[in-house]
Amino acid sequence: MNMFELLDQDAAFFELAQRRNLLFYHKGYFSHSIVAAMSEVVKLQLEVAGINAPTRRKLFSSFIELSQNIIHYSSDSLAEGGGSGGAIREGAVCITTDGERHLMLCVNPVATSAVGHLRERLEPLCNMSLEEIKQAYKVSLRSDTPEESKGAGLGFLTMARDASAPLEFAFYPRVDTPETTLFCLKTII
Amino acid sequence: MDNLHIAATSTSPEIDFQFDQNVLTFRGESYPENAAAFYAPVIERLRAYLAGCSDAAITVEVTLTYFNSSSTKMLFSVFDALDQAASSGNRVLVRWYRDAEDETILEFGEELQADFTAIDFTDCPVAT
Repeated sequence: MNMFELLDQDAAFFELAQRRNLLFYHKGYFSHSIVAAMSEVVKLQLEVAGINAPTRRKLFSSFIELSQNIIHYSSDSLAEGGGSGGAIREGAVCITTDGERHLMLCVNPVATSAVGHLRERLEPLCNMSLEEIKQAYKVSLRSDTPEESKGAGLGFLTMARDASAPLEFAFYPRVDTPETTLFCLKTII
Repeated sequence: MDNLHIAATSTSPEIDFQFDQNVLTFRGESYPENAAAFYAPVIERLRAYLAGCSDAAITVEVTLTYFNSSSTKMLFSVFDALDQAASSGNRVLVRWYRDAEDETILEFGEELQADFTAIDFTDCPVAT
């Protein structure tokens, strides 16, 4: 059996991945130990791809912030966390290369009731200059952690600081489950 | 007070507090599952040790190659505790090791110096 017969219609998936210079893709469950294992894969892939060290660090930082967001905030959970076990929640992260630019895309469902709040936090970041982002980062670093935040409330600012273009985001309503909405976040590094 | 040693994992740094030598070390990468849960007991032991220090020369060696946003916040609390000790009669010397090309860690070091002026802070870029 030759390669093409073996792949059959799945070939389209591999061809697309190659054409888009796919460095990393995971759709499924995210837990702390899964992210720790994926971190090794991502570090290795970025290094093998010949990306310079400062850019690699920024990509890795954004990868961790996005992945930990999924663990903490995705509304699709297999385990809620708390007690002895950690949270396991569903989402997707994709890293592709386009010449000198690197794209990182994250998709996960969130409670539709949380959409307004996310929008309020992200919209200002998309209109700030890098200088303004750094200033907001300094303020947030010294302020008390927001009550609803399981991290430091600094995650989006960290990503915005590491990006070479404004963060982009979108919300897609889900017809089957109107109480949840798909949240997409894109960063270019 | 007993020394404190926490071995590094792939997502949390080594903590090596040799209180009997007045040498405190942080080494590795920091993106634990729950940064507050990881750092809270570390900061508690640190504060208890610092409370008993007077006229001490304390050396803090920091070699952290990556820390996520929630760890960043906790490190700020660590430095707050060190700064208070330095303001109350101790000498606190921080050696801040970082990759020479790592501007993010350089800039965070600058933030620490801006806020915690009682600490004798040395940026130590390491060429790779």
